[in-house]
Amino acid sequence: MKTYIRMWTTNQIWTMALLGAALSTATLTAQQVVAPSMAQVGSPRGENTGNYNYTNSFEAGYRWSLVGGDLGEYRSDVNYRNGLRLLSSSFSIDSKDGHGHYFDQILLNTQGLGNDPYQFASLRIQKNRLYRYDLNWRSNDYFNPGLTVAGGLHRMDTVRRVQDHELTLFPQAAFRVRAGYSHNSQDGPALTTTQQFDSNSAGLPVFEDLQRRWNEFRLGADAEILGFKLTLQRRWDFYKEDTPYSSNGLVSAVGIGLANDLTVLQQFRKGAPVHGRNPGWMGNLLANHKRWAVNARMNYSRGHNDFAVNESAAGLNRFGSATSQQVLVAGNADRPVLVGDFNLSVFPTSRLTVVNNTSVSNVRIDGPSTFTDIYNGFNGGETVYFRYLGIRTVTNSTDANYRVKKWFAVYGGYRYTDRLVRSIEGFALPAFADSATSSAYETTNHLHAATVGLRFKPVKGLTASLEAEIGRADNPLTPISDKDYHTLNGRIEYRTRRLQLSSSYKQFYNINGLASYSVYASHTRNYTANASYSLKDWFSLDANYIKLHQDSVSGIAYFSGTGRSQLQNASSLFVSNVHAANLGARFAFGKRADLYVGYSITEDTGDGRATAANGVTDLSGAILAGVQTFPLTYQSPLGRLSVRISPKLRWNAGYQFYNYHEQFGLLGQYQNFHAHTGYSSVTWAF
Amino acid sequence: MRRIAFAMMQGVPPGYFMRTLMLWPILTALAMAQNQAAPPASAPGSGFVGSNACKTCHADVWMNFYKNPHYKSIASGKETEEKTGCEGCHGPAQKHVQAGGGKPTIPHAFSLMQPKEILQTCLGCHGKDMARANIQRSEHTGNDVVCTNCHSIHHAATPKFLLAKKQNELCYSCHAAQRAQFSMPSKHRVNEGFMQCSDCHNPHGSFSATWKMGQRPHMMEQGPGGETPCVKCHADKRGPFVYEHAPVRVEGCETCHAPHGSMNAKLLRRPVVLTLCLECHNGAGSFGTRNNGVPIQSAKHNMLDPKFQKCTTCHVALHGSNSDQYFLR
Repeated sequence: MKTYIRMWTTNQIWTMALLGAALSTATLTAQQVVAPSMAQVGSPRGENTGNYNYTNSFEAGYRWSLVGGDLGEYRSDVNYRNGLRLLSSSFSIDSKDGHGHYFDQILLNTQGLGNDPYQFASLRIQKNRLYRYDLNWRSNDYFNPGLTVAGGLHRMDTVRRVQDHELTLFPQAAFRVRAGYSHNSQDGPALTTTQQFDSNSAGLPVFEDLQRRWNEFRLGADAEILGFKLTLQRRWDFYKEDTPYSSNGLVSAVGIGLANDLTVLQQFRKGAPVHGRNPGWMGNLLANHKRWAVNARMNYSRGHNDFAVNESAAGLNRFGSATSQQVLVAGNADRPVLVGDFNLSVFPTSRLTVVNNTSVSNVRIDGPSTFTDIYNGFNGGETVYFRYLGIRTVTNSTDANYRVKKWFAVYGGYRYTDRLVRSIEGFALPAFADSATSSAYETTNHLHAATVGLRFKPVKGLTASLEAEIGRADNPLTPISDKDYHTLNGRIEYRTRRLQLSSSYKQFYNINGLASYSVYASHTRNYTANASYSLKDWFSLDANYIKLHQDSVSGIAYFSGTGRSQLQNASSLFVSNVHAANLGARFAFGKRADLYVGYSITEDTGDGRATAANGVTDLSGAILAGVQTFPLTYQSPLGRLSVRISPKLRWNAGYQFYNYHEQFGLLGQYQNFHAHTGYSSVTWAF
Repeated sequence: MRRIAFAMMQGVPPGYFMRTLMLWPILTALAMAQNQAAPPASAPGSGFVGSNACKTCHADVWMNFYKNPHYKSIASGKETEEKTGCEGCHGPAQKHVQAGGGKPTIPHAFSLMQPKEILQTCLGCHGKDMARANIQRSEHTGNDVVCTNCHSIHHAATPKFLLAKKQNELCYSCHAAQRAQFSMPSKHRVNEGFMQCSDCHNPHGSFSATWKMGQRPHMMEQGPGGETPCVKCHADKRGPFVYEHAPVRVEGCETCHAPHGSMNAKLLRRPVVLTLCLECHNGAGSFGTRNNGVPIQSAKHNMLDPKFQKCTTCHVALHGSNSDQYFLR
């Protein structure tokens, strides 16, 4: 007993000392982090208790960060902050003979608990042949300054939480029952804008506290009957948004930098609840045989949203006159969706596989919305708007895959798609009989695409592949949709037990529109090179380089000009050249310590111009020229150290530096930042 | 007897029989699961020797094999010999034992097998799951990326799904361009552990996309109604809306966003929304749902005025609106 007490006391002292050291270090340097330690804690063999073996590992410590420059951009890109964290944990119990009483396995893993911006927990509990339960829980602390989309007036500081539960009964039996539940929520403060009093006025910032909830319930079963696997699932999901909107005191256009606009929002309240449901059925039939396989799916859901808007505003309009406005909206929207797929695979020989697939999807979205605008006490009457959007797509594809030799194979495929997009736009004024009017439009789109590919394995460990696709579509929906395109994709890899080398090239060219300012052509080329090497257990190296090139020319039209604005026809030539490199090296110093050092850089060199305006002096042209390329550098060196204190205890520390540097800024704004982040932690494993 | 039956009926809550009826298939299945026939004895000449013989030389594999999901077949004790233990995957081991080891004597030595053979061997048991329903037409299969390229049965880095590496590292080992995209300033939080590639993709193959023209993107795990997987998290963008922004629904979120990562805020494909919107809204050609071009903005949008340079300042409901056809509220 004395020995036990002495050992326990010694361990406790060590633990407390290390925690104290970790905390004091963090406090002294007072900054930020990376992620849980990647250091090896050693393969925990676990402890045996009765018929079970269990393993456990906790990494707890302190994260710190020191940020210089634009805090909003830092929070948008990185977002680690100071505080105590359970950086990671891992727990498992396994029955040693697979015949546990209530369970055979429990797995629990967590990351970042304790207010990290990215938190994660997963749980699996199962008993062989009887049940399996899986849980995933996640939380994302999301911040975005909204500068480029609304000049900072759409800033968000929200938390999204997602959880998924899945229970399977009799997971190894011919008849399985599945039940599931998913929940998704988004909460937190955000800014949005409202445009009041007339459509020429400014968008004025309005504060909101997001309240969005989505719940899904699933119930289904799998059955194996006569060699076919049948899956049926019934699903119900419910969406609810009850975000309230209100202005926070006086909001003026002048206050957001619009000197010539006298709009002032003195009172503003808005309720815009949306309550929706989306029940659905899914069925799947699957069979795998030696010479053929078949798979058929049918998915039907009927989405429905009920909504209302009650918006009231009072203040001054852009000419400074007292104005009030109330907007009332109510209605509902429906969306029945039917999706069907049928796959037939045949294997005439051991070398040949032929797969034919037919997919059909039909979406219809429809709904009325009654709109009433009461402006300065004058009721303009109720208008009923309705708009229909229907999309029907039929796709058929056939792919063949043939192994000519053990070291050489070819494959090819052809795909045809027929799509119909139908819209009906209409409105009715109930005050006048027979005032309903509507216009219907249809557009059809066909695609023919062919693919061919080759694969080689000339020597052991070496593989190479080359693939090409060409597609021709008519009548694309948007000027930037795929029309006349082709892709090339090549890859070569050499792999041994300790070394892996690979390189790839991929290009995607699309040309859509050739007449006047409807021209659109884009070219994307990706180059990658990777190397991984490990030398016994004490050294490993990963390095890669990636270049992503994109250029696109688009015909655009916009109005601008001093005084009266003029229509400007121009071409927007957007160029991006991203060079990215990652380097990571891991060293193990016996069983005593692990060191990981890494460096990552992502740099867009743009189109090589020296200034944003690129010499364009015309005001209208300069607006466009200044956003046609966006050179910036984002780099991040990091280091992690893990030192073994005892077989069950390790001390870890990490440091990561972030540097974000925009060369030109956007629309006159720079968001550059640099940040020192780090952590110090203790890992206890058994 | 009638008295007993009557007594049993007393106090039976309403719906009892209905619930019992609903439980029937479950109880039947349970019974089926419990009453499987015992495995037949090894047929003479079948070549099966049982997992005990394998333990002798492969103790390192066997020692922790009870933690492996494949141990279920051994624990069951009721599977036929070609579907259980080491030989369930590797085939009858008699010749291997007689030869004193050696890969060539293993009937199914995965490192020596052709990709298609590996696939068929694994699908022998794992083919009944709907998640793998499209594996024969998946791009991975087409490129000879089969089960053992990603899964490591005996040296897995993850106890769930037996992945050879942590999921994102595993995917990056081939998809290097995506590694670069997830290292960009604006990105979905995959490296940070909040998300995984499989939240949006099904590496075993998927049904044809219901957006764009179905040909791309590949291997997407569809949302609950067969939609783009983005709406699984971004439920507020799902609608239905009275006024849909047609490209969002017809062509998908990728029309404006780069889903993995972007050098631009909000995963946008362009640094500012100004050019993003204008590239479609140029009024040209026969585009759009009306076949007469995507509408150009009105003359009041003087782009020299800063308030018009950020389109979404006023067009706040750009993904779809229930109250305004121009997405102003």
